[in-house]
Amino acid sequence: MNQTQQVPVTVLTGFLGAGKTTLLNRILTEQHGRRYAVIVNEFGEEGIDNDLVVDADEEVFEMNNGCICCTVRGDLIRILSGLMKRADQLDAIIVETTGLADPAPVAQTFFVDQDVADRTKLDAIVTVADAVHLNSQLGEHHEAEEQVAFADVVLLNKTDLVDETGLDGVEKRIKKINPYTKIIRTAHCDAPLENILSLDAFSLERVLEVEPDFLDSDHDHEHDDDVTSVSFVSEAPLDLEKFEAWFGKLLQTHGQDILRSKGIIEFLGIDERYVFQGVHMLMDASPMGAWPEGANRNSRMVFIGRNLESMNLKEGFEGCKAA
Amino acid sequence: MQSGVTSTTVDRTAKRIGISETEVERRGLKYELGAPVTGAATVGDAVAVGFGDGSIRFFRPGQKPSVQQSHLGVILCMAAYQDVLVTGGDDGRCLKITPNGIMQELADFDTKWVDCVAATQGLVACSSGKNVQLWSARQSKPINFVHSSTVGGLSFDVRGQRLAVAHYGGVTVWERTKRKWKSSTFAWKGFHGAVTFSPDGKYLVSAMQENAVHGWRIRDKANLAMSGYPAKVKSFAWAGDTPFLVTSGADEAICWPFDGKNGPMERSPLCVAHNRKQIATCVLALQNEDAVFAGFRDGSVLLAKLDETVDPIAIRGSSGAEITAMALSPSKSHLAIGDAKGNVLWAPLGTGAAYERNV
Repeated sequence: MNQTQQVPVTVLTGFLGAGKTTLLNRILTEQHGRRYAVIVNEFGEEGIDNDLVVDADEEVFEMNNGCICCTVRGDLIRILSGLMKRADQLDAIIVETTGLADPAPVAQTFFVDQDVADRTKLDAIVTVADAVHLNSQLGEHHEAEEQVAFADVVLLNKTDLVDETGLDGVEKRIKKINPYTKIIRTAHCDAPLENILSLDAFSLERVLEVEPDFLDSDHDHEHDDDVTSVSFVSEAPLDLEKFEAWFGKLLQTHGQDILRSKGIIEFLGIDERYVFQGVHMLMDASPMGAWPEGANRNSRMVFIGRNLESMNLKEGFEGCKAA
Repeated sequence: MQSGVTSTTVDRTAKRIGISETEVERRGLKYELGAPVTGAATVGDAVAVGFGDGSIRFFRPGQKPSVQQSHLGVILCMAAYQDVLVTGGDDGRCLKITPNGIMQELADFDTKWVDCVAATQGLVACSSGKNVQLWSARQSKPINFVHSSTVGGLSFDVRGQRLAVAHYGGVTVWERTKRKWKSSTFAWKGFHGAVTFSPDGKYLVSAMQENAVHGWRIRDKANLAMSGYPAKVKSFAWAGDTPFLVTSGADEAICWPFDGKNGPMERSPLCVAHNRKQIATCVLALQNEDAVFAGFRDGSVLLAKLDETVDPIAIRGSSGAEITAMALSPSKSHLAIGDAKGNVLWAPLGTGAAYERNV
C-alpha cells in the first residue's frame, strides 16, 4: 500500500552491558511526545509496564530460496505485522537484539518480506558500544565486529571512563571496520534521540549524502576473520552490462562474506546516477536522478566484509570500465 | 450472471481508476470504524468483525451492529464454530465470546501475544509463541503442546479428530486417540503460516513465508508444491464440490483442484476473478454455488464462478485499502467486507431472483 506511510524501524545492537537498556528506558520514559514501540528479546527484571513493549524470540529463519545467507527474523515479521494492525499510528519502532546476535537477519527481513517492506522501513542500525571494552570484544567475538560493520551509527558509550587517546584508538578501530558509520560519544547513552532515531540511513538518498571516512588501510597483522572495508573510485564511466555481470556473480559467490556494500555508479550513455546499497546478497538499487550541475561525475563503491582481499575486487571493478 | 449488472462488471480497459462504486455497495451500509479490520467470522446468527482496537462488532441483517469491547489491544486472530467465537489478542488473552455478548477468558499469556486460534465441535485451541493450548469439552483443564518454533497457524479437521499446527520446518498434526493426542510431523523447509485440512481430511495445506502454498497427501506424506505466486498467500478457502483450494497472492484467485487420487499434482490451477494488476489478499467461498469472493489490495472485491469462461461481478469498488477480512451471514444473504483502514461494507447480496442473477 503505497499510500500508507512506512513506519521507520531502528535496530539497536550492542554487547551486553554496553548500555542498550539505558537507552531503551530513555526512549520509553522520556517526554518526547512520540509513540515508539519497542521490541525486546527479554523483559527486564523491573518489568517495564508499557503496552508498547513487545516480547520477541529472535527466531532466525532460512528462506527456502536456495540462498544460504538469506535469513530473516521470523518473529519480527509476525510482530511488525501485528503492530501495523493497531488503531493508533506509531512514530517509530525500535528492535533490540541480544548482544550476540548477527544484525544481518534483522536487516534482511526488510528486503525479503513484502508486507514488512510495504508498511515499515529499516531506518538505521544503531550499535551501542562500550568504550572500555570494545577493543577486546572486537578481537574475541565475530558478533561485535558484525555489529560495528552493520552500524549506521555507533553510540560510543562510557566515554567518561576512557582517556582521549584511548577514545581515538577505539574510533580508529571502528572506522577501519566501517568507514560509513557515524560515531556519537556519550557517557550514559545521553545523546539526543533525534541523533539516533529517524535517520533514514537505509534510503538510497542517504548513500548520496554520506561521505565515507576512509583511513589508510594497512593490512598489517590482520587475520582472515577480521572485518575490513575497501573502496574504489573510477573517473571513467562503467559499462552497464559488464558491471551487472561482475557484480551479480560477486554477490552470488561471496555474498556471505560481504556484510554491507554501497555505491554510486556512472554508466556510459546513461544520464542518471545509479545508486545501490546491499546487505549480503540482498540489494536495493535504483537510478537516482541526474548528476548535479558541475558535480564531479565518477563511480564509487565501498564493501565492508570478511576475506575481501580474496575476491579480486579491484580487478573486477576496473574491468567494468567502459572501453 | 451478465444481465442487469453490466455496469458493475470489471472494466478491463480502466487502468488507473480501478473499479467504481458497485450496485451492491449502494444497497449496503458503509461504516468507517477507525481501527483496521483484522478478522471476520460467521458465528450463530451473526457475522463477527474484529478490529485493531480490540473491539468486535456483530452484524445481523436488518439490525444495527452491536459492539463488544473484548481485547485491550489488537485482535490478532479469530475463529468460530456454530455459536462460539474464539479470539486472540496482543494483550496476551484468548477469549471465548458468544454473539449475545457473553465473554469468557480461556487463557492469559501476559506479555506474550496470542497469535492463532481454532475452533470446532467441542474443541478450542490457541497458540502463543511455541505453545498450543487445547480445550476439549470432556476435560476441565487445557492440554499444552510445545513446538520447535513459534506457531504460524492452527486448524482442526472437519471431524474434530486432528489439529494441525504450522511452524518453521513443517506442520505437526496432533491426532486424538482413545487416551491421548499423538503427533506426527509433515516436514518441509521454510516457515509455514495458515494451515488447513481438505474437507475430506485427506490433504493438509499450508501457506508459506515464501510466495507459495505447500500441501501433503496425509496417507503417504507425498509433497505438493504449489508455487509461482507473485505475492505471499495470506488467505485460502475450500470451494465447490471438486473441491478447489482457492488462494490469494496473485492478480486473480488461484484455485487448485483436490479431486481424484493425486489432487493438484501435475495439474494446472483454475484462475478466476482476474483483476488487472491488483493482488488478491483475501478469499471467501460461496458454498453450494461453486463461486468465490476475492478481495484485493486496492479494496475491490469480485465474485467469480469457479469457471474461467464466466466474467466476475464487482461487489465492491476500489476504495484504496487492502481487504483484510470477509464473512457471510449464516443464510448467505449478507456479506461483510473489512479493510486495513477500518472500513466495513455490510451489504445484502440480494434474494430470490436478484440473488440468482448475481451469483
